[in-house]
Amino acid sequence: MRTGLVVVLGLIAAGIALRPLEGPAWEKIQAKQPQLRLESLKDALGQGVTVGLLGGFRAIVADLFWIRTNAVWEENDLPGTQTSIKLVTAIDPRPLYFWLNGSRMIAYDMPNWRIDKAGGYDVVPEAVKRRFDEEQSKVAVNYLNNGLDFHPDNPLLVLEIANVYLNRLKDVETAAKFYRQASEHPDAPYYAARIYAELLRRLERREEAYAFLTKLHPTLPPDNMMAQAVVVLDRIRELEDELNVPAVKRYRDPNGTPTPPPRMPGLDVDVSDLLPAPVAP
Amino acid sequence: MSVASVPFSLGRLGLIAGNTFLEAVRQKLFLFLLLLAIGLVASALFFREFNFGSSELKFIADFGFGALIFFGSALTIATTAQLFFSEIENRTALTLLAKPLWRAEFVFGKFLGVFAVIGVFCALTIGLMMALLYHREGQLMAQTPEAFEAGRLISYGDLLVVGLLQWLKFGVLTAIVLLIASFSNTNLFTVVTGFFVLVICHLQYLARDAWGNVDNALIGLVVQAMSLIFPNFQLFNLADEIGQGSGVDGDVALRVAGYGLAYIAVIGGLAVYSFRNREI
Repeated sequence: MRTGLVVVLGLIAAGIALRPLEGPAWEKIQAKQPQLRLESLKDALGQGVTVGLLGGFRAIVADLFWIRTNAVWEENDLPGTQTSIKLVTAIDPRPLYFWLNGSRMIAYDMPNWRIDKAGGYDVVPEAVKRRFDEEQSKVAVNYLNNGLDFHPDNPLLVLEIANVYLNRLKDVETAAKFYRQASEHPDAPYYAARIYAELLRRLERREEAYAFLTKLHPTLPPDNMMAQAVVVLDRIRELEDELNVPAVKRYRDPNGTPTPPPRMPGLDVDVSDLLPAPVAP
Repeated sequence: MSVASVPFSLGRLGLIAGNTFLEAVRQKLFLFLLLLAIGLVASALFFREFNFGSSELKFIADFGFGALIFFGSALTIATTAQLFFSEIENRTALTLLAKPLWRAEFVFGKFLGVFAVIGVFCALTIGLMMALLYHREGQLMAQTPEAFEAGRLISYGDLLVVGLLQWLKFGVLTAIVLLIASFSNTNLFTVVTGFFVLVICHLQYLARDAWGNVDNALIGLVVQAMSLIFPNFQLFNLADEIGQGSGVDGDVALRVAGYGLAYIAVIGGLAVYSFRNREI
């Protein structure tokens, strides 16, 4: 009894004495590995997540659970799929693949499952369908926001949130906000900024879209196909026509593409077509 | 001649450690687990087909560390318990302790013997994993040189550091199993308790996180005591940082190493204290 007490007290004393050595290191490790926080695991504890938490085989255990997720997904089992998706990212939150595909299952597939279960597309009223969309989108956006805790520097998760607002909820205003947020990231794909500008046009905020694109265009590498500098320039020209920007105020391409003259209002021809042909020397 | 009349001897401690090491490497369990771990690390190239998320090299590293941690933990607990109780059951402990031999020499000799065996296990597993990663990285560099413009992606120095820290963690686990064995009556009890303690040590950080959220003061106190009694094994889990771009933080690695060594000394000392009060 006395020996046991001494051992326990000795361990507690060691725990207290070593806390100053452990604390700073543990803080740094937790900051780099947010999965080592209780709130990251509360959705998944008690479901076999221990295997992953023991430090080994995290990647392979998560992969096997992902296969299981797909098996449950094929059966249109909503609670099972949702739980399994969260379990996978609780075990291994590092791969973006799980976050992106998990959120797509929640936002795009699950509303359809709910509609089918409620009687099908022809029976379920539009308001109920809308409610299903909103509820599942909310779950997906929350899930993606959790993903941002682990990947704060990754614009693809922000883009996925924007996609949910645009494609599922048809909320162009909020989607535009997230596309802009994603486009401001240094590693953002070029299309994020282009979509943002297009959504501004759709929202009838043409001046804003024009100002944004004219700032964006000089930053695009002309020889990069993904940057689509030519497409952006075309859109700038379209906006100039729509906004009736006078010739002197038109955007000048730093790469030397000549600035076309404004189109005549009401005519689908360039003003240059109406000008006299240059006289040959 | 009584123990009190002879000074503590590193020579005697070394003899016990050497004998323990030889006994351990002759065990079938050691060879079996070593072969399993090596087989698993080597098969990482085939298992990568299952991989959906991480990069291939990261997956191989994860898989290798998984094998090291899983089989290393099993080997540490089983070997320590078996070697300790073989001395008790074969009565060799009686013969040994009847001689002028400190119980501290006996316990720390056992510890060093097992620690050396686990060291061999870690060296072989990590060595194989590094060779595998180097080989595969070389192949990938030849296939997609544009992805390796900044040189190799894997920091092999970091792999070694993480391997060393895992070895230290197994050292703490060895000391814990010796502490349990010092008062336990059976090998089975020691092995089962050792596995439970391993799981608790890996999950104790959750108790610490939960402590702040517990309303009941008594339960809160118990949870806090639990987090102080058991060492935090997740602290040694720096393998996640390899291949993630950041690398292993030198300050963190040093602190973790100090933490592990301090725990080995403290728990080893408590094992000696407990063993001194035991009737053999």
